[in-house]
Amino acid sequence: MEPALIFDLILLLTLISLAWLLLASTDLFRAVVLFIAFGLLLALAWVRLGAPDVALAEAAIGAGISGALLLIGLGQLGSSERDRCPVRPLTFLQHLSAPVLIGVIIPSVTVILLLELRQLQVVTSGQQGLVQNLLSISGSDHPVTAVLLNFRAWDTLLEKGVLLLALITIWSLDQARPRFENTDIPPLLSGFGQLLLPLLILFAGVLLWQGGYVPGGAFQAGALLTAAMLLATLSGYALPSRWTGVALRLVLVAGFLVFLAVAAITLLLRGEPLHYPQRLAGGLILLIEIVATLSVAAILSAALAGGHPVTNLPPAATPTTKIEDKS
Amino acid sequence: MTELFLHQQWLIWLTLLPLGAAVAAFLAPQQARWIGLATALLLPVCALAGILSVTLTHADPITAGGWPTPLGIELRRDGLALVMLAVTALVGFIISCYALGYFPVHDRHYDKVRYFWPLWLFLWGSCNALFVSGDLFNLYVTLELVTLSSVALIALEGGKQALAAALRYLFIGLLGSLSYLLGVGLLYGSYATVDIALLGEMISATRLNHAAMALMVAGLVLKSALFPLHFWLPQAHTMAPAPVSAALSALVVKAAYVILLRLWFEVFPALDTFAVGHLLGLLGSIAIVWGSLMALRQERLKLLIAYSTVAQIGYLYLVFPLAQPETMAAAWTGGVLLMMTHACGKSAMFMVAGTIHHTAGSDRLSRLAGAGGPVGVLAVVFTLAATTIIGLPPSGGFFAKWIFINAALVTGQWWYLPIILSGTLLAAAYIARVLGWAFLDVKRSSYPVIPWVMKWPPLVLSVIALLFGLIAYEPIQIALIGAPVHGSIMVEMTP
Repeated sequence: MEPALIFDLILLLTLISLAWLLLASTDLFRAVVLFIAFGLLLALAWVRLGAPDVALAEAAIGAGISGALLLIGLGQLGSSERDRCPVRPLTFLQHLSAPVLIGVIIPSVTVILLLELRQLQVVTSGQQGLVQNLLSISGSDHPVTAVLLNFRAWDTLLEKGVLLLALITIWSLDQARPRFENTDIPPLLSGFGQLLLPLLILFAGVLLWQGGYVPGGAFQAGALLTAAMLLATLSGYALPSRWTGVALRLVLVAGFLVFLAVAAITLLLRGEPLHYPQRLAGGLILLIEIVATLSVAAILSAALAGGHPVTNLPPAATPTTKIEDKS
Repeated sequence: MTELFLHQQWLIWLTLLPLGAAVAAFLAPQQARWIGLATALLLPVCALAGILSVTLTHADPITAGGWPTPLGIELRRDGLALVMLAVTALVGFIISCYALGYFPVHDRHYDKVRYFWPLWLFLWGSCNALFVSGDLFNLYVTLELVTLSSVALIALEGGKQALAAALRYLFIGLLGSLSYLLGVGLLYGSYATVDIALLGEMISATRLNHAAMALMVAGLVLKSALFPLHFWLPQAHTMAPAPVSAALSALVVKAAYVILLRLWFEVFPALDTFAVGHLLGLLGSIAIVWGSLMALRQERLKLLIAYSTVAQIGYLYLVFPLAQPETMAAAWTGGVLLMMTHACGKSAMFMVAGTIHHTAGSDRLSRLAGAGGPVGVLAVVFTLAATTIIGLPPSGGFFAKWIFINAALVTGQWWYLPIILSGTLLAAAYIARVLGWAFLDVKRSSYPVIPWVMKWPPLVLSVIALLFGLIAYEPIQIALIGAPVHGSIMVEMTP
């Protein structure tokens, strides 16, 4: 047996058992930790599949940011809620639905797929040839960046919208709670932060820039910046309240807005959205990527804060115009 | 001059404008109402200009980014896209007007209200992006946008129940999307393209493709709430604020169905869809009867309307068994017609329910007593909108059912006849129950003052729903532009 195959088998088995353990875990904290481990190993699986871009995103966002979000969410639940999953009497159909879903549907779908996938005449190259041929006029030297920001930029524009929408959703639900009430930060943490912060920011810049020719790009760089922001928050930094108004909102929307503006201008001038002029393509992609990095970082950091900033303005106190039906 | 105005790019502005407006409304919450209103005024104009440009000129199809398929993403401007964009523009405009009254400037829940406009404009833009997309992966992205904005809008009402309904909707939406995406992945693995038109030419009846079809259809059926996967719909549509309920029933459920129509008639015609078609027809039939019976049992108006949506979705799924070779065009057109007219009628009904809830503090049917008096316009709106739900002539619902019955008889599937008839009778019964309360001779001590934007705009929708049968010729002609079906809509019976 080849060593690579053995490695793959071990990786697969570990992934499946981790997934099972985290689903079966009744302790939520343990489940989250297992989830983070699962994400990191999944990133490794992507590397084995020859998709380093996906691996980077999986490690940074799937394991890192999602893990942090889950841990923070867990911290905000009261300890009583955390220790036990809420138990509610289930109806007969609800009792039935979980075993049916887990016991019948998922295995049958898996078996069918496993049987059928053997017939798949995999077009291994996909659209590789096509992408390589047009790479020179795409404005990027890295095929993944060329696909994401030029050939299928319409998808990426909408994905940026998903990210912004997720944040607006979080903000619409609640206001951010002050999390770190104790002011004494361990000296080790603040010293560590001073050392690590500049490095993280530098490395984010490198990731962003190298997206032009090797794996990297706005999402991965933005995730690193978020890690820097998280570290700063843990060391006691908080965004001054004068920045949490329009200024913060501008940074949050900038990535999507610039992309949208490029789409609007190209639609107006060339009749097709995101149809870049060939000689401007490189510059436009760089512009979109830089602004997107900042916005991704801002959005993920704001998501970690868990709600909209505390507004000092009292809500309008005038009586409602509703006239109640007194009958 | 004509080149300037008659250009297909109007159809793309229908996506870019609301998305940009959503960002603007998020940046300037104080002006959000006016940004929303301005967008709502602009979009019907864009839709009209786009439709005129497609019907009057013969421009080349466009892609996003200007790259030809399979590299780029094709943007559709066929009949299905056009009529859905038009209906969305019309219903969206009325919903926006209504929301101006529903979310007043000075509200106790200002914090919640300020997020309505960005979220609603996001939903509107994403629906439009979905309707023009001709690419399976791009459809997935737009579907995610639609789902996420719907979830946020449902949760906007606040409270435990609304949050629970929103969360359940999110899980259902993710499950449906993932199932769909898995199917897209299988197709891409085999054919190295996700373009609908290219896939339609290449696809062959292999077992792998059938697995892909099963996964994608299952995901979309879950998202469009076909019986028995409708269990999430009544709660989600009832817990949301009224303008949101209207948008969910009129547009969001249809979004998944539009993708299903595209798949069925454009991607998978080469596959053996006999059994799946009849299964969908069977589930649709059960949905009609079950949804109507449940609607008849409800004590709350919004729940009644939500279950009526479950029943109406059942009719939409009759399209698949009825689309036999000779009745292909008939079934397809009937489905599209029903989508359009149901969107108008159902959103008007939800707005009326919202107004009653807003003013009476509850939407229990008993609170309707005497509503037919001085606030009778509500009862009128409801009655007119209900004609299309029941399927009375000359509403669009009547014509859609007529086409279905014709197709059922021509193809010898007579058993759909009693299903459609019983659905009609049950619908008449539950509507009559509502009207019975509304026109009860009860003198009220006081009558609520309702802002005019909450009274009159829904009337426009219900009048359109009522008269849709009379003006159906033009919309059907537009819908048939570049349609994947050919042939006559009403087929002669051959003994």
